[in-house]
Amino acid sequence: MNVIEAEGLEKTFTTRVKPEGLKASFASLVKPRMREVAAVKGVSFEVESGEVLAFLGPNGAGKSTTIKMLTGILAPSAGKARVLGLDPAKERLELSRYIGAVFGQRSQLWFHLPPADSFRLIGAIYEIDESDRIWRQAELVERFGLAPYMDVPVRKLSLGERIRCEIAASLLPCPQVLFLDEPTIGLDVIAKREIRLLLAEAAEVDDVTVFLTSHDIGDIEKLCKRAIIIHHGEVVVDESMKDLRHRALARKLVGVKYAEPVRFQIDGLSPVKVKAADVAGAAGIAGAAGVAGAGDGAWTAASFEVDTRCHQLPDLIRALAEKGEILDLTVEDEPLENIIAGIYGAQSGAEAAAAARPRTASAPAAPQTTAPAGEKAFS
Amino acid sequence: MNRNTWISAYARFLGTTFSVNLQAVMEYRVNFLIQAFGMMLNNAAFALFWGVLIERTGGIGGYGFSDIMFIWALVSSSFGLAHILFGNIRSLGRIVQKGELDLYLLQPKDVFLNLLASRTIVSAWGDFIYGFIVLCFLPGLSLGRLAIFSSFVCSGGLIFAATFAAAESLTFFMGNSSAISSAIAEFMLSFSLYPETVFDRGMRWVFYSILPSGFIAFVPLAVFKGLNWAMMPLVWIVALAYVAASYSLFRLGLKRYESGNQIGARL
Ligand SMILES: Nc1ncnc2c1ncn2[C@@H]1O[C@H](COP(=O)(O)OP(=O)(O)OP(=O)(O)O)[C@@H](O)[C@H]1O
Ligand SMILES: [Mg+2]
Repeated sequence: MNVIEAEGLEKTFTTRVKPEGLKASFASLVKPRMREVAAVKGVSFEVESGEVLAFLGPNGAGKSTTIKMLTGILAPSAGKARVLGLDPAKERLELSRYIGAVFGQRSQLWFHLPPADSFRLIGAIYEIDESDRIWRQAELVERFGLAPYMDVPVRKLSLGERIRCEIAASLLPCPQVLFLDEPTIGLDVIAKREIRLLLAEAAEVDDVTVFLTSHDIGDIEKLCKRAIIIHHGEVVVDESMKDLRHRALARKLVGVKYAEPVRFQIDGLSPVKVKAADVAGAAGIAGAAGVAGAGDGAWTAASFEVDTRCHQLPDLIRALAEKGEILDLTVEDEPLENIIAGIYGAQSGAEAAAAARPRTASAPAAPQTTAPAGEKAFS
Repeated sequence: MNRNTWISAYARFLGTTFSVNLQAVMEYRVNFLIQAFGMMLNNAAFALFWGVLIERTGGIGGYGFSDIMFIWALVSSSFGLAHILFGNIRSLGRIVQKGELDLYLLQPKDVFLNLLASRTIVSAWGDFIYGFIVLCFLPGLSLGRLAIFSSFVCSGGLIFAATFAAAESLTFFMGNSSAISSAIAEFMLSFSLYPETVFDRGMRWVFYSILPSGFIAFVPLAVFKGLNWAMMPLVWIVALAYVAASYSLFRLGLKRYESGNQIGARL
């Protein structure tokens, strides 16, 4: 069953342009100049019940705006949205009983009150039976480890403690869908990990559909099964995390370190980074571009970006092993971050969509691979 | 939803908000007492000033000292009540401007009521109590007069709240209405504290429209002095009309609400 449906959602903000100078300011009192900002331009997607979805995009892509339209805070300029079968713009009050929302940058807890009071208030606002509330609250306090903070005013809590309370508070009325807008912003590594675990548990135990935006790739990799990436207000990627990760898996980063300086060249692959052995003026580590000229220098270490659809990894490693005594060898997947950065870097929605398309084997994977595509043996 | 459950749900919501807020106030007992007594002392100083003035002049605009004190008591208590129950009436504009209305839009309670009631102003308790203390010192106090007074405190509180909230709601339409709304609040409060007859006849209509001091102070005084009960329902109808108008203005403005991403910027 689809819990969230967006069909050509659009939002255009009209903002008053503040003119420079006093004279222009007076003129604008009479006839203000308006500028239109298209924040979201026709976004369509569906989210099924029980999904944990990552909603990604660079700053200003329109993520928060989309969430606001799905929760009924903003009315869309065009298009339709349905959440739990309700129209958020028209049936906001009814919908609000069944959804929760956490905005990492805005608190829903009463600033001067301890969380225990906030929970009581939320119980009254959501009309939860008092005995149910106490029972549910005890469970959440236990799961989220909130016992030490329940009677400390929220303003005295650390950011991480507060976010834990925020999420617990939004789960108190047992929502069916939970929207989270950058819940881990500003948290340390441990706190982030805790939040992820708690959200995963919530999705599992409470059976909530989770709609998450974040700039933290870790959040997304650990938590989400599917990703939608929007850019310039348009959807450019909508696929499972598995597929998205699979693209990353096609590229490997191979690093090698030799006991003695070696001199070698590999057909079709030049290292992206090397460590020169004979330091003849050159700094220890040179960029790939600088290396190209001094291709026959002696190196003690190098790293390669390998597209496994063009090159066989075992061949490369065999070739490397033949050159000298290897001290250390690392093979890593290309971080998912790079793939996403490639999509984010695009100038327009169309370009981003192009960048988002899976690379085919015939296209050169990296600028360094100068040789024609196809499998190659190393000499 | 069933009407009865609807009413009980809102009663529970408002009751919980009130008691939680009151508890929070009590946490800062010393601060509470200082603010409450500070407010009373401030008011008492004014009473002294009026007392001296009227003793010298023998009445102003047909009002005697006890009339002035009655108005003071009434305005003080209604003003206090409005800020005790609806602590956000003066911050509505700022909340809208900062995009903090999102929070209330996400909760299953009426946005206007939820927003206004979610806070209480500590010093307002001083104003509220002061009015009743002054009343006790007025001559001719009876149970009936106490009832009339209390009723007018409630209707006055609603009129204050409705007017202030309406002025703040202008933020939806103008982007920033703090100048207008603070002017309205100032004028309304000051005008309510002077005898109506002091003002120019051509100007008095203002007190029965945009600055409804007439319904907060002047009409109630007439009722109180003459024990003219018939006027009381009228004042209540007017109060509810102001509430309805204020609510509609807010609703109209809400359609223009565009949220925002502010994290705590300077305004
Ligand atoms: N209330 C508003 N009025 C005018 N323009 C707005 C408003 N809210 C957002 N915008 C504009 O709409 C665009 C999308 O904003 P949005 O907040 O949705 O981005 P986002 O994807 O959440 O970005 P971030 O990752 O930085 O939070 C931005 O260009 C922003 O300037
Ligand atoms: Mg955002």
